[in-house]
Amino acid sequence: MTAAGDIFERADLLVVGGRISAVGPGLQAPDGAVVVDAAGKTITPGVIDTHSHLGVYAAPGLNGHSDGNEASAPTTAHVRAEDGYWPQDPQIDRARAGGVTTAQILPGSANLIGGRSVTVRFLPDARSVDDVKFPGAPYGLKMACGENPKRVYGDKSGPKTRMGNLAGFRDAFQKAKEYERTWSKYRKDHGEWDKNKDKPAPAGKDGQPGKPPDEPQPPTRDFGLETLGLVMKGEILVHNHCYRADEMTQMLDLAATYGFKIRSFHHAVEAYKIADRLAAAGTAASVWADWWGFKAEAFDGILENAALLHAAGGRSIIHSDSPSGIQRLNQEAAKAMHAGRRMGVDISEDDALRWFTANAAWALGIDHEVGTLTPGKRADLVVWSGSPFSVYTRAEQVYIDGEPVYLRGELEPGTDFELGYNPGAAPPAPVSPVPSNMSAAN
Amino acid sequence: MSHILFVAVLALKSPAAPAAVTLVKGGDLHVGDGTVVEDATIIIRDGKFAAVGGPELTAPSNSGVTLVDARGKIITPGLVASDNQLGLVEIDLEGSTHDDARGGDHPVRAAYDASRAFNAESSLIQVQAIGGVTTAAVAPAGGLLSGQVAWVDLVHGDHRGALSKAGVAIDGNLGHSYGGSRAAALAKLHEVLTDAQVFRGRKDAYERAQTRPFAAHALDLQALQPALAGQIPLTLSADRASDILAALDLAKEYKLRLVIVGGSEAWKVAPELAAAKVPVVLQPTRNLPGSFDTLGARLDTAALLAAAGVPVVIAWLDDSHNLRNITQEAGIAVANGLPWAAALRAITLEPALAYGQGTTHGSVAVGKVANLVVWSGDPLELSSRPTDVLVRGRAIPMVSRQTLLRDRYRSLDKFGAAAPSTNSNARPRPDTGAAATTATTAAPPQK
Repeated sequence: MTAAGDIFERADLLVVGGRISAVGPGLQAPDGAVVVDAAGKTITPGVIDTHSHLGVYAAPGLNGHSDGNEASAPTTAHVRAEDGYWPQDPQIDRARAGGVTTAQILPGSANLIGGRSVTVRFLPDARSVDDVKFPGAPYGLKMACGENPKRVYGDKSGPKTRMGNLAGFRDAFQKAKEYERTWSKYRKDHGEWDKNKDKPAPAGKDGQPGKPPDEPQPPTRDFGLETLGLVMKGEILVHNHCYRADEMTQMLDLAATYGFKIRSFHHAVEAYKIADRLAAAGTAASVWADWWGFKAEAFDGILENAALLHAAGGRSIIHSDSPSGIQRLNQEAAKAMHAGRRMGVDISEDDALRWFTANAAWALGIDHEVGTLTPGKRADLVVWSGSPFSVYTRAEQVYIDGEPVYLRGELEPGTDFELGYNPGAAPPAPVSPVPSNMSAAN
Repeated sequence: MSHILFVAVLALKSPAAPAAVTLVKGGDLHVGDGTVVEDATIIIRDGKFAAVGGPELTAPSNSGVTLVDARGKIITPGLVASDNQLGLVEIDLEGSTHDDARGGDHPVRAAYDASRAFNAESSLIQVQAIGGVTTAAVAPAGGLLSGQVAWVDLVHGDHRGALSKAGVAIDGNLGHSYGGSRAAALAKLHEVLTDAQVFRGRKDAYERAQTRPFAAHALDLQALQPALAGQIPLTLSADRASDILAALDLAKEYKLRLVIVGGSEAWKVAPELAAAKVPVVLQPTRNLPGSFDTLGARLDTAALLAAAGVPVVIAWLDDSHNLRNITQEAGIAVANGLPWAAALRAITLEPALAYGQGTTHGSVAVGKVANLVVWSGDPLELSSRPTDVLVRGRAIPMVSRQTLLRDRYRSLDKFGAAAPSTNSNARPRPDTGAAATTATTAAPPQK
């Protein structure tokens, strides 16, 4: 299953030098090629999660592992998730065993502007974040609407209300505009000075030679405002935690005012109420299949959210925001696909596969590199035991850049943290077949 | 549209009066105890299963019979959701909607009765019911002993009728739950259980204030009596293997019927659990070392326990909004080694047995409450859905607040297509230092 439109009943996939070379029936393996027999299995692109906190909220959930929310001020555009990412988080191993090859690691949602995200690959044996950063991936910026910032700061500095939230966003981007102006002025002044510095200074009133003009000094550098400036230039992609339809609309408006795009709303449990607006804005929605009701702004969640956005021509993404859910994004997409089909929305398996591969890659700005089984792209692959949309299917093999990173029963990387625990652990339970009279039809 | 919605809400709130007799015909019946009846005939009278058999069973044919056509489908007992706060919590982060715990510092709240707080009009009920869940073991939360579990059938809106039985278990929490140490929690449990035993024989003296001070209020000590008499189970949350062993010791000492909830490391002590016939209520997807109590968590715990002979109950132990996902949890347990029939049993008969309600619930058997689901396919598979759900013999409307929202927004044509931002004079613009920008939210008019 290519996530690029084609689903082959029986096909081969050739990887050369870590990239997909060819996909289709009847390929000839070159001499010396390693041949992996995947007969009866299903191959898809590696799973991509647009919303994860693995590594910044690592397991076990200790105080010492809490590195995901710089909850010291409501706007912390200067912090970066990569600086808090612990590559030894044992949750990463479970996610990889679920077929996940790439994830966006985001700061949490305590802050209006939480900082820069980092897109990582779940390669084993990483000793620092630099070993796993997705090559060339743009940064993301985490923003959060609604309840979380006002809950965290309501009794501190504020914001205390949604009014305060929006005011905080406006303030931040307004400051960034003004910061950009000071730099523009500096660059212009410095250019002028540079052009004229060797010319004789004009004489003063008293006829004496004038002093040469001082070299303009650069403004103080502010990493947070610089980050917001890059957002407004489109070089950093905005990922906006936002549940309600009304708030998402307001955020689209704010973004338009300051001349940037919101790449994806996250959680977006009410995306279905403004599917037309999201489609028109070209903003994706990263959603759960069925989470709802755990907070007031999540109360209107429905099973058909992803399907209705898809039907409106929008870009649906199934995300996890969960160290458990990330292990089964394929199953979450299956639930969302079937809910949509039941209400009459036309969703192909390739469409639903894109919800956790190609569309996610687009949201992260890496769709030219991964997300579909297309020649030229990186060979990030999952070999599943059956249909990825079945509850009974498990990822059996996972490859990044054509190299195996997980082979069930053979290569199951573990972190430093878990060494020495669970002495004498039982071997995995053998799997019994599902009764043949259980039809998985419709 | 509002008129249609009105009708739908009415239908949701007041289901039509039940026919005296309902007939479910055709389909493969998975009874819940492992047996399968092909081309089943199920006759329901006054909310109970009156007859269960194959095509040979003579079906009543008078005009008062409601027919449920299950041909080509799968029939199972109504699913049982164990250990949740359904009807006690509407929105997790809104404390004003919580009735799941008795407040205050005292860790012993055995008299706290969840059935008194249950809201039969909770929006969560139909969401679970149309997903196949017909019964819930509603448990209080918090403290060392949280209170009494209510056994509830999911009859939406029926405040007087939804409760099947109050006080079917006493729920509590082991581990790091009290006094800053698991040892302190165990000591407190010993103290309270001993006091409850003393209290049993000295109630008159207590009334005359002639007893020593007890570790809990008399009502709480009284509430523990059915558990001490072995009439109802004590359901204790425990994950670490050492906590589970401590619970087994406690149960042995006080002759308690024990049920372990959570059980992340139960596989490490499976032989002892099997020998003591102690069921484990677990959520199969909980495979993360999220704390030092769950470092041994794994995906195949259900399979390992079942193979060792431990009764396995599969539950959704996260927030109660998605209890419907016990089918997916059961399917994942199958993918990780639990036999399919055991997985179905783990969400039907096993929970009923664990909570002592096996005589009325958990399987499709004559005399039991007629809770039943007709599925479009394999009930554990993601593609399947219930086509008919019967609670106490009544086919429930397949409607929830979620389906009503879906239908309201199914088409967006009736809404104004344009966002407010198309009117650039509507509100002052911040000074962006740039020429006025065009909002992107202005959707073109929809056809």
